[in-house]
Amino acid sequence: MPSNEWLLITVGAILVNNVVLSRILGICPFLGVSKKLETALGMSGAVTFVLTISSFVTALLYKLLLSAEITICGTTVNLSFTKFLVFIVVIASLVQIIEILLRKFSPSLYRALGIYLPLITTNCAVLGAAELNAGANNGLGRGILESTVFGFATGLGFGLALLLFACLRERLELSMIPRPFRGTAIALVTAGILAMAFMGFGLLVK
Amino acid sequence: MSTTFLAAVCVVGIIGLILGCLIAFTAKKFDVEADPKVEKVRELLPGANCGGCGFAGCADLADAIVNRGISPSRCTVISAAALKNLSAFLGVEAEEKEKMTAVVFCGGSLSRAARKAQYNGIMDCRSANVAGGGGKACAYGCIGYGCCARACPFGAIEMRDGLAVVHPEVCRGCGKCVTVCPRNLIRLVPASVKIHVYCSSADKPAARRKVCSAACISCGKCIRADGQGRVEKQENGTVRINCENPPDISLAETAGCPTGALQTEETHRAIQPISPKETQK
Amino acid sequence: MSLPPHVARFTGGIHPMDGKGLSNGITARTAPLLEKYLVPLHQNIGAPPKLTVTKGELVKKGQRIAEPGGFVSVPLHAPTSGTVGNLTEVPGVAGNTLQAVEIISDGKDEWGSGLDPIVPWQEADRKVLKQRVADGGIIGMGGAAFPAHVKLSPPPEKTIDTLIVNGAECEPYLTADHRLMLERTEAVLEGAAIAARILDVDRIFIGIEENKPDAIAAMKKAADAYGIQIVPLPVRYPQGAEKQLIFAVTGRAVATGGLPMDVGCVVQNAGTCAAIRDAVVEGHPLIERYTSVTGTPVVHPGTWIFRIGTPVKEALKLAGGVREQPAKLILGGPMMGFAQSSMDVTVTKNTSGILLLTGRETGRYLSSPCIRCGRCVSVCPMRLLPGPISVMVECENYALAEHNFVMDCMECGACTFVCPAKRPLVQHFRRAKAEINAIRRARKKH
Repeated sequence: MPSNEWLLITVGAILVNNVVLSRILGICPFLGVSKKLETALGMSGAVTFVLTISSFVTALLYKLLLSAEITICGTTVNLSFTKFLVFIVVIASLVQIIEILLRKFSPSLYRALGIYLPLITTNCAVLGAAELNAGANNGLGRGILESTVFGFATGLGFGLALLLFACLRERLELSMIPRPFRGTAIALVTAGILAMAFMGFGLLVK
Repeated sequence: MSTTFLAAVCVVGIIGLILGCLIAFTAKKFDVEADPKVEKVRELLPGANCGGCGFAGCADLADAIVNRGISPSRCTVISAAALKNLSAFLGVEAEEKEKMTAVVFCGGSLSRAARKAQYNGIMDCRSANVAGGGGKACAYGCIGYGCCARACPFGAIEMRDGLAVVHPEVCRGCGKCVTVCPRNLIRLVPASVKIHVYCSSADKPAARRKVCSAACISCGKCIRADGQGRVEKQENGTVRINCENPPDISLAETAGCPTGALQTEETHRAIQPISPKETQK
Repeated sequence: MSLPPHVARFTGGIHPMDGKGLSNGITARTAPLLEKYLVPLHQNIGAPPKLTVTKGELVKKGQRIAEPGGFVSVPLHAPTSGTVGNLTEVPGVAGNTLQAVEIISDGKDEWGSGLDPIVPWQEADRKVLKQRVADGGIIGMGGAAFPAHVKLSPPPEKTIDTLIVNGAECEPYLTADHRLMLERTEAVLEGAAIAARILDVDRIFIGIEENKPDAIAAMKKAADAYGIQIVPLPVRYPQGAEKQLIFAVTGRAVATGGLPMDVGCVVQNAGTCAAIRDAVVEGHPLIERYTSVTGTPVVHPGTWIFRIGTPVKEALKLAGGVREQPAKLILGGPMMGFAQSSMDVTVTKNTSGILLLTGRETGRYLSSPCIRCGRCVSVCPMRLLPGPISVMVECENYALAEHNFVMDCMECGACTFVCPAKRPLVQHFRRAKAEINAIRRARKKH
C-alpha cells in the first residue's frame, strides 16, 4: 500500500470525515461528557482505546471468518450478514473489560465518566468505525492493519472534536446566555457551528 | 439454508462464549470490592445533589454515612418517610428531625428602611457589601438585592419591596441562603415557630429607630407581655424568640410591639402595614 | 552612592483629567482650632488601638489617648489639649461605623506628648528610633494606613537596600503631598534619612511625578545634603502605586503575591516621612496632616493642615462651602477614594483629600456586557485581564478568577476608567478578593 494511502486514511478519519462532526456519530458522549475538559480528556482516551482494539478485533473476525466463503458439509456459506451481531458483542465485551480495569486502576476517572463509560458500548462511533471498515472496498473490507489505523484515527478525531467542544463549553459557562438557550440548547447550536467549521476540511482531499 | 443458519448460530455463539470467558477472567482478576451498602444508601437519599449536607453530592454523603458513621439526618432535604426508610436500612434509631425553615431576620423593606445613598453598582448583595453596603442606611439589615433568592435551589425566597421573604411551604431548609447572605441575616429555625422578632440590628436602640421604622428598639414589651422567658434579649441587644419553647402567635397582637418588629411569619411575608400605632395615625 | 537610577515605564496606566490646578498653587493653611474633635479609634490597618483615657480626663496636646492593640497597630494622641468627652460613633470611610472619642478643646492648645526630641538622631540607636516611630502613631499617610514601624521592621531574612519615598501623588485633584514637599522640603528629606537609618540603607530615592516641577526643583536643591536622589517620574496614573513606583525607580518587579521587601525595597509616603521627622526631631506625634479640600463645587479649594479628628463638615466650612450642589463626597482621590454617605465622617491619619464632585462630573451609568475591546487589558498596570476576570466573578467562578491572579489587583480603577461598557470592574474584583480571602480563611481553619 502506498504511503500516501496511510496519510489519507488518518487525515480523512481525523479531519475530513470526522466521526462526530461530519458523520454525526457518537453524539451521546459528545454532549454528555463535554462539560469539563478533564473528563472529556479521559473519555476521548477511553474511546480511542476501545476504537483501536475493537477495529482490530472486528476486522480480524470479518476478514478471516465472516466475509470468507466457508464450505461446511458441501454447502458454501457467507456469514457476513451476522457482522452487526458479532461486532456489537465484541464491542460490548471490550467495554466491559475496560470498565473493570478502569475501576481498578483509576477510580476517579471511573467515577467522573459515570454512566458514559458503559455507554461506549452503544457509542455508534465505535460500531460505525467497525462497519466502515467492513463496508470499505465494496464490502470486501479493509486490511486488518489499515482497519486498526482507521479505528485509531477515528478515535483521535472523536477526541479532537470532544476536546474542542469541551473548551468551548467551558467558555460558554462564562457567557451570558439568554434563558431559553441555556444548557443543551446552546450546546447543540455550538456543536452545529463547530460542524460547519469542520466542513472546511472537506476541501483538503480531492 | 439450515446450514447457513446453523453456522451463524455456532459462530456467534462461540465468539460470545470466548469473550464471556475473557470478561469473567478479568472480572475475577481485577475485582474491586464495592460496598453494596453505599449504593443502597445512595439510592435511598433524595439524589438532589444540593450539597446542603456539606458533602460533594449524595454519593459522597452515602459513603460518609456508611463508612464514617455520619448520621443520615445530616441530609437537610430528606423527607421524614425517606429518613425512616434509610434509618431502618442502616439499623439505627430514626432520629426525630424537625423540619427547618429559613427566616430572614429583618423587616426593613424599602418603604420602612431609611436610605443613605444612591447605590449605582452591581445589583448583588455581596458585591454591594464590599462597596459601602448598598443604599439602605441600616448597617445590619437586608441589603435587598436578592443574593439569597438567586441562591435558593427551590425558589423559596422572593424579593418583596426590597426585602427577602421566605415561603416556608417551599423552603426545604437546605441552608444555601444562610451561607450567601453577607449580613448573616438568615437562620434556620424550626418551621413550627411562626412568630419572630424581625430585626438583627446591633446598633443602639435610638440609632436603629432612626434608620428603620420596623426596627426592634429593645423596649422589652414583648418580653414582659410573655412573662415566661419565651422571648429573650441577646447579648448584642437584639431580641429573639426562644425556638425551643416558642410563644403562641397571638403574642404578636397582645404584646403591642411599638414598631411591629415582632410579627408573625405571615405578616412578614405579606409586607403589610405592620405597625398598629402607625396605621392608627 | 549607587548610580543614578533609570526610570522604567510600567505597562498600562491612564491619563485622567488631573484637576490639580484647582489647589496646587495655594499655600497650605493651618486650620484654626475647633471646639471639639472626634478621633476615630481604628484608623490603621491591623488591630484597633485600645482607649486608655476616660470621660472627663484632662489631656494635653499630643498626649497618648489609646495604646496599640498589637504589633500591627499604633497608639493615638490627643489632637489638642482639653477634656475627654463621650465615646461616640462616627461613620468610617468604607461605609462602616467606627468608635470615636470626643476631645473637647480648652483653647490653650498646650503640648504634652511626653516624647522628648531625639537629637542628634544620627547618633541614636536604631531600635530607639524605630520605637519612636511606633510611639508617634505613624501610619502610611498616602491612603493605605499601614503602620509605618511595621514597614520599617522587615524580617531578618530579607535584605533591604533601597528606601523609596513616594511623592508621586498620581491621584487626580490631590495636592496635599505636593504642597507638603514644597513647604516642608527639609522635613520630608530628614524624615526619609531617619527612615533610612532605621533600615540601615544608603540608597534613598524620592519619586515625584513631573507635573510638580516646583516640588522637584525644591527637593533637588536640598536633597544633596542628605544623600538622597530625586527621581522625576513620567505622569501616568497609577505611578504612585507601590509596585509601579519600585519598578520605575529601581527597575525591579515584584512577583505575584510578593511584597516590596522581596525585592529589597521599602516605600514610604512623603507625608509619612515628614511625620517620622516630627516624631523624632520635635517629639511631636502624628496629630495633624496635610489634606486637600478640592473639587469644582468648592468655593476656595486648597490644602489645609487639619488636626486628626476634624469633622469633614468643618473642613468644608473652612474652604468657603460650596457654590453648587455637589453630588458626591469622596475621601481620598477620585480613583481610589471612597464615596461617602454621610457628612459626619472625620479627617483621619490617611485622609489625603476631601473631594466634592458635581452631578455632571460623576454621572450614573448603566453597565452593559463586556464587548471585548481589550482596553482594560492594555491599561492594567498589573498586567491582568480585567474584563475576563470580571466575567468569571459574575459567574461566581472564584477559583478561575484566583487562577487568573485577581488577588494581584490593587483596585487602582484604571480598567473601570477606560471601560466603554461602563462595567464596574473594580467592584467585581473587590468582591472576588473578599470571597477568596473568606475561602482561604475557611480552608486554614479546617
